[in-house]
Amino acid sequence: MDGMHDLGGKQGFGPIDVNETEVPFHADWEGRMWAIAQCGRGRDGWTIDWWRHCRELIDPVDYLARPYFDSWMQAYTATYIDSGAFSLEEIINAKSDQPPIEPPAAIDTRQVLKDVQSQATRFDRPLAQTPQFQIGDRIITNQLTTSHHTRLPAYARGKPGIIYAYHGAHIFADACAQGSERPDHIYSVVFEARDLWPEAQQKNDRVFLDLWESYLESA
Amino acid sequence: MPSFDPDTVSEIHQHLHSHLPSESALRVKALETVLVEKGLVNSQTIDAWVEAYSEEVGPKRGALIVAKAWSDPAFKASLLGDAVSTIDQLGYLGKATAHLKVVENTPEVHNLVVCTLCSCYPFSILGMAPNWYKTAAYRSRAVRDPRGVLQEFGVEVEDDIEIRVWDSTAELRYMVLPERPANTDGLSEEALAALVTRNSMIGTDRNLQANV
Repeated sequence: MDGMHDLGGKQGFGPIDVNETEVPFHADWEGRMWAIAQCGRGRDGWTIDWWRHCRELIDPVDYLARPYFDSWMQAYTATYIDSGAFSLEEIINAKSDQPPIEPPAAIDTRQVLKDVQSQATRFDRPLAQTPQFQIGDRIITNQLTTSHHTRLPAYARGKPGIIYAYHGAHIFADACAQGSERPDHIYSVVFEARDLWPEAQQKNDRVFLDLWESYLESA
Repeated sequence: MPSFDPDTVSEIHQHLHSHLPSESALRVKALETVLVEKGLVNSQTIDAWVEAYSEEVGPKRGALIVAKAWSDPAFKASLLGDAVSTIDQLGYLGKATAHLKVVENTPEVHNLVVCTLCSCYPFSILGMAPNWYKTAAYRSRAVRDPRGVLQEFGVEVEDDIEIRVWDSTAELRYMVLPERPANTDGLSEEALAALVTRNSMIGTDRNLQANV
């Protein structure tokens, strides 16, 4: 999707606030939104990439202007409504239109720390087909992608790169966002900054992206 | 079940844009209330999650990993070769680190981590990401103007040092292993960990200092 979220290399955003106070949460509601995301139920069939896509679909003005965890609220709310967990009217009224249902039993911080460990979700899957590329191979990335979710950013489309590392086969994000689990070989690909940016012709800097084989052609 | 249909979700977003209150705190409160009433979340459990990420899961974990790598060459080799099982031995494997890679700074190379497409971050070892990491300014510029970004953070990188920017486009996550500061011989792991800044593990800090 050619959305506002695809920010790599876009210009005009100005300086970075480097003097931010180093605290985990800057307001109570940020912490509560993060926590809801970690422990809320009612997400049968959701995938991480479908959720990312729902966040990308936020109105571009809201995406840029509203606070970060506010966009999580809107992405979770939209994804829940889409799944039928509650309705638009219920969230607008901030009230369920049904009698309350007993929530899951409370857990304490010690149990939370175990749950954090159990969130080490693996995305690698077996794949019989042998990888097409080897370390050092020259590739070119696809120019045309998809109007749905993809993890090939605009700034790295149609660009030459070199296979830097191979990581086995992982669930392919583009398919995962549409509810299907299809493994594809994944590589770290290195791009020369001078191949990406007009002003970087004299630089030796490099940009590394983790890209699925479906994004790549032999060069 | 989800529709997996972008048009459906775009339409929901338009309604939310028009009808939700403007204030973020009220929005999140509404979501929590509805989820509690639907039996999908427990508010005390939310309290416990906030506490865990405020007190336990944070960059001090990453700092200890760095200090161990500075102190023990075998640990460092293991960390660079297989970060996942190495942090698992410390009990730090978890949220977003099942495919962790550690990249090493050297006198010739500086590493910088970003997620241009969203805000991917190795939560179980660094805790909550700083706000700046999630802003359009950082996400847009880190891949294009890394030296300018570093300058804003007060880090000068000489022209002959190669900058490697890692854009977290898949489920691999990256942590930078900064260089050990000079004049730290004989310091304990705990004392070394206290010298490690969060930003140095993202790559927006480079020249760590010994306490004087």
